Amino acid sequence: MLIKNIRFLLIIVILVSFNLNAEIIEVNFVYIGHEEHPALLGIKQGIDESNLQGQFLNQKYNLEIISENKIQKHNFTKYIAILTTVKSNELKSLAKELTNIPIFNLTDESNELRVNCITNILHITPSNKMKADALKQWQTKIPDSKANPQSWHYSFKKFAARDLNKRFKKNYKTNMDDYSWAGWAAVKMTSDTVARTKIISAKNMLNYLKTKLSFDGQKGSDMNFRVTGQLRQLILLVEDNKVIAEAPIRGIAKPPTLESLGILNCSK
Amino acid sequence: MRFFWTLLTITLFLFNSFVVNADGRIFVTNERSNTVSVIDAKSLTIENTIKIGERPRGIGLSPDNTELYVAVSEEDKIVVVDPNTLKILRKFEAGSDPETFGVHPNGNIYISNEDDAKATVFDPKTGEQIAEIRVGLEPEGVAVSPDGERVIVTSESTNMLHVIKTPENIIESNILVGSRPRAAVFNNSGDIAYATAEISGEVVKVDVRKAKIIKTGTTGDAKSKPKDIILSKDENVIYVAGGRANKVIVMDADSLEIIKGIPVGKRVWGLAMSGDGGRIFTTNGVSGTISVIDTIKNEVIKTIEVGKFPWGVVVRED
Repeated sequence: MLIKNIRFLLIIVILVSFNLNAEIIEVNFVYIGHEEHPALLGIKQGIDESNLQGQFLNQKYNLEIISENKIQKHNFTKYIAILTTVKSNELKSLAKELTNIPIFNLTDESNELRVNCITNILHITPSNKMKADALKQWQTKIPDSKANPQSWHYSFKKFAARDLNKRFKKNYKTNMDDYSWAGWAAVKMTSDTVARTKIISAKNMLNYLKTKLSFDGQKGSDMNFRVTGQLRQLILLVEDNKVIAEAPIRGIAKPPTLESLGILNCSK
Repeated sequence: MRFFWTLLTITLFLFNSFVVNADGRIFVTNERSNTVSVIDAKSLTIENTIKIGERPRGIGLSPDNTELYVAVSEEDKIVVVDPNTLKILRKFEAGSDPETFGVHPNGNIYISNEDDAKATVFDPKTGEQIAEIRVGLEPEGVAVSPDGERVIVTSESTNMLHVIKTPENIIESNILVGSRPRAAVFNNSGDIAYATAEISGEVVKVDVRKAKIIKTGTTGDAKSKPKDIILSKDENVIYVAGGRANKVIVMDADSLEIIKGIPVGKRVWGLAMSGDGGRIFTTNGVSGTISVIDTIKNEVIKTIEVGKFPWGVVVRED
């Protein structure tokens, strides 16, 4: 019994001294957009989850929020990534200004932004073309389908989507939608990378995300980016508030099936 | 010499048949039928079906084999069943959404509470909660070392193996592994553990005391989402449930190289081994069946129909 107690005490001493000695890595995100946007709730959920992981690894994740009209004079050097809901034109000028930092596009679906292949923009939200392709595949089975192609839905249960939906709803008393999923995913893939690689420079983070990412977005296969900067992902087809199918549609899309959705190449 | 080998083979065969045919039962949770299927180990046929409660998943036996525990996730409870009479003895509250659990040699149950980012420890005799351990998001797999010194809880959305020291019930180390770690198993001495990572399709071998990954292997099939994992009695081979690859992947426990893929039913998740190591039982969720694998031939020798979405399986031998 005495030996057991001594061992127990020793463990505590070791743990305490470990915690005192360990340096905490601080990682900062910045969100540019409206405070009421649902994407921000997803971002906050992502930050919470990252800190839950970070407590075991001595990493702390912070979020700053700035509005669109304050961009000009802001110093962006301390951020690991920018998360934004701004539209195409603002997004482009932001990317031109801040070339060595990942800029997550959470809302803009324009095809043009994808074919432009802007090196530091990462599109979490699917392009119009991805969604249209998803619907087209489905319409080969049900030609008059009125389904809506979405990147996320609160009724989705597979691949532990149920768990993410449940904890988001518990925290924010509202359903997770496409934009909040995008915000969550952007933060989560970045903090996962910090945890795995200890990368804390924005430039290296951008490079890693574009070339080596293998992310669990809680919607199936591991996720990564195309050369266009678009996140490869499945698209949910939703009708009457229910997920009725997942594209790529099995038996219709040819392997590699995820490449049957959206734009694959950059314009010359 | 040849005679000797023949004799040895025959002896082993007889011994094997003898032990495998020992009396006993195999218990299977059927997630969407809300039942437990009871299979006679000798005839490998369904003997009985117990109405157990909503969404039964994790299943296990007390160290003395006198009580069967079933986690009914939707009811937030553990149901205690007499494995002889098949009568429900009692139920106790087991925290939010209990999924899988491990039974410690001292009789306590370590439960992963998926919704709450914690593991809880219960005394199943009294239903009393003994400890609560904060872990990562979506805790899933629970493994108890044979000597009872440590428990591993995997957290799926935090990508970690949390190594918990017992009886203190504090986290000793956190080992970051591939995406969505689902299940873990210790070797006999408790210094090595193996774990599956579903999304990255990996099996990792870790040094538990050093909290380090020793080796990483892949299940070698894009469709495979590895779930349950067990170690052979001689510790030479690991068996991994390949999920939607619809096979059990046999790997060398040292090199983590694939030895064989054994085709079983659809979406194989749960695995259990007979006491002598001669048989493996798999739950095939989408097929609604159990496959019985002969571990000498590494082949399926029988398929048994059970309820909807069989999830967990445990073997009780008399």
